[in-house]
Amino acid sequence: MTPTDPSPDRNQRRVATDGGVSTTDDAESTSDPTEADGDSEKLVDVSSSFTVSDDDEDRPQAAETAIETRDLDVYYGDEQALQSVSMEIPEKQVTALIGPSGCGKSTFLRCLNRMNDLIDIANVDGEVRFEGKNIYDEDVDPVALRRKIGMVFQQPNPFPKSIYDNVAFGLEVQDEAVTDETVRRALERAALLEEVDGRLDESGLELSGGQQQRLCIARAIAPDPEVILMDEPASALDPVATSKIEDLIADLSEEYTVIIVTHNMQQAARISDKTAVFLTGGELVEYDDTKDIFENPDNQRVEDYITGKFG
Amino acid sequence: MASETPSSGTWFGSAEKVGRLRGRIFKWTCLGATVLTLALMLVFLLYVANDAFRPFSADPGWLATMGLTVVVPIALLAGYYYRRDRSAGQVAYTALGLPVLVALASGGLWLLFRHIVSPREWFVLVVSIVVAGGLVVGHSRVRHDAVTERLVVTVLVPLLVVVGIPTVLPGLGQFLYLLPVLPNALFSLILGFVLPVAAIVGWRVRAVRDADRDGAIAAGITVAGGLAGLGLGPLVGIHPTSWFVFAAPIVGALVVYVEHVVRNDKGLSGLAFPVVVVAGVFAGLAVTQLLGFAGPDAWLNMDFLTSAHDTDPSEAGIYPTLVGSVLILLVIVLSAFPVGIGAAIYLEEYATSQGRFGTVMELIQVNIANLAGVPSIVYGVLGLAIFINLIGMGRGTAVVAGFTVGLLILPIVIISTQEAIRAVPDSHRQASYAMGATKWQTVRNVVLPESLAGIFTGTILALGRAIGETAPLLMIGIPATVRIAPDSFLSRTGAMPRQIFSWSTQITTEFRYGVLAAGVVTLLVVLLTMNAAAIVLRNRSQQTQ
Repeated sequence: MTPTDPSPDRNQRRVATDGGVSTTDDAESTSDPTEADGDSEKLVDVSSSFTVSDDDEDRPQAAETAIETRDLDVYYGDEQALQSVSMEIPEKQVTALIGPSGCGKSTFLRCLNRMNDLIDIANVDGEVRFEGKNIYDEDVDPVALRRKIGMVFQQPNPFPKSIYDNVAFGLEVQDEAVTDETVRRALERAALLEEVDGRLDESGLELSGGQQQRLCIARAIAPDPEVILMDEPASALDPVATSKIEDLIADLSEEYTVIIVTHNMQQAARISDKTAVFLTGGELVEYDDTKDIFENPDNQRVEDYITGKFG
Repeated sequence: MASETPSSGTWFGSAEKVGRLRGRIFKWTCLGATVLTLALMLVFLLYVANDAFRPFSADPGWLATMGLTVVVPIALLAGYYYRRDRSAGQVAYTALGLPVLVALASGGLWLLFRHIVSPREWFVLVVSIVVAGGLVVGHSRVRHDAVTERLVVTVLVPLLVVVGIPTVLPGLGQFLYLLPVLPNALFSLILGFVLPVAAIVGWRVRAVRDADRDGAIAAGITVAGGLAGLGLGPLVGIHPTSWFVFAAPIVGALVVYVEHVVRNDKGLSGLAFPVVVVAGVFAGLAVTQLLGFAGPDAWLNMDFLTSAHDTDPSEAGIYPTLVGSVLILLVIVLSAFPVGIGAAIYLEEYATSQGRFGTVMELIQVNIANLAGVPSIVYGVLGLAIFINLIGMGRGTAVVAGFTVGLLILPIVIISTQEAIRAVPDSHRQASYAMGATKWQTVRNVVLPESLAGIFTGTILALGRAIGETAPLLMIGIPATVRIAPDSFLSRTGAMPRQIFSWSTQITTEFRYGVLAAGVVTLLVVLLTMNAAAIVLRNRSQQTQ
């Protein structure tokens, strides 16, 4: 698949971006600002009562919930980074988290696999339910949790090891058998195998930035997690590499729940099924199907943000 | 700028507007400081080298011949590399430096074989270690999932096999001594040294070339280089065992390096450099011998390196103290390095910065930095008080000297290791944790492999500091002169810097100038070679990252 010519089935899932967002009377009529925080019931209502007008949507509407957060607060020292965020993230779909810098979307993402535990001053309050268990319970081992929830970072960060060893790393630390077949399959699913076949023993650092990021994705999916968290995975890449990563994310969502933080609103509109908009102060302002968020946002601040008047 | 009216007519390049005088003066002053430092070092080195080698005591014909056969070719080749092929220059100095470095290390090993561990004991030790390693690997194959059991086996089996239980169960070595037939020294070294070295070389080449045949060839060359001593050694007057100890590692290292250069196909012509140097030296020696030119009457020669102190300056040598210094270095490597590296790993990777414990850690950190600045004589007093007076270890032994100087360089080891660990990008740790790795897995698989080169660099530099320390040795009773090399870590031993210090107090002028200079140059050569190795290692690790 060439980067400039995305596969047709992805086109169907794409939602109109700039055109659809332009302010209309229709958008202004929904001036009642919805307060998202502390109102998880309402959010559930919004997402389940939504009916798509276009019939080319290929996703089931009532997907199972993969992760649910309830009143999630995060503090860095005395500073509050997330304010009582409640949302349900559907299984095997792409959920995008957007918002201006410092709005807490990365913090939220790092709560989902307890990477915030590694920051001494971070303090998490509230619940994150994953497979029927609050992951912040005393008896949850964050290491075991991270083996179920993989993560890809903003900067490609392959280890200074061979391509093969990079992919095998997760299998090794999780005590799973490392076979050529599993490594190759992970590379294939990350759409990288064709480009690196025959030189798997070369250093992962010799790849280009976009290839490195796909290597990181291959590394994350090799141990077969349930959920993949992506923290602005394409922001350090050029448009061609970005397009490849986007294609890949669409493919991955068939098998995995993908949650992606992005600065790029067009990207969120293109690749995600659901979108959550965080605004300054760590507040989840609106969370809905991507189409609704971009075409017909409930909240005036969200609309201002999406149309570029603010943020 | 736009509002100013240019009164002088030209707005560009006028000295009054852009003042640069102070900047220039500052720049030249800094340059002066640099030149002064370098010049002082160079003058000192030339001065000492002149005293040690006395090149002008040689026939002018000898100097001219050597200049023609050695210096001129080196200069021509260096010029060629500089102009045409920079990467070949890099290959050239590595190809020449690597054998020198390996020879130095082999020299240390040779001293050990001669005085501390007999070849036969070494052979028994190697067999025990191989058996223990085989048992551990076998266990992990058979019972792959028993992690706790493997931990116990990995610790206990080598201990049981190599050491045994004192007074209850002898180690495997004890049983081997009971065998009716044990190989003699020659075969012990072939089996216990040449073959393992060749195996390592072959395994390494096989790994990088991914071909069994190439590995076998590399191992074969190494074995051949070692065993050549059986025939060639007696011809040139070197005992075959000595030949084994020096030749096998040098040939092995060269095989690995040449394979590396050939595989990368970069700077191949640099490999000619060591050949030209060695051929030049031999040609020069042959010609001068033929024409009857006398070489310089150097203080630093083979006799100096192989004989003990003597009341006659021309007979005096450094050999026993060289052995002592090697033993002390070995004690330092085995004691201070594990402790220092372990402490650094804890401080960097495990210690929290939060709460009361964090305050304690910060205090420790500050104190380690302070300890690095404590005068060495104070460490000498500490060693005297703790190791000799309190614990009751023998005065002037290699163990006490190693522990004391080890204590001295411990803060340096900790700080440099911490810096190496800190250089590992945090994003790699994050990636590892996000993969569901535990702290131990992250340290073991990500942090340590990536910081290893930096840790080596720092520790080698620390070792360079250790080898020259004199003041602590004075405090813990290292004898001023020794005539006999120590035969164990627990016997009284000399040390090079201590010996140099006592030569400086001799009344005879030859001691204070010639012999002293020869000792200083010996010490400097060891130290500078170690530092050069550290620098090359650092450059290589920077290239790969």
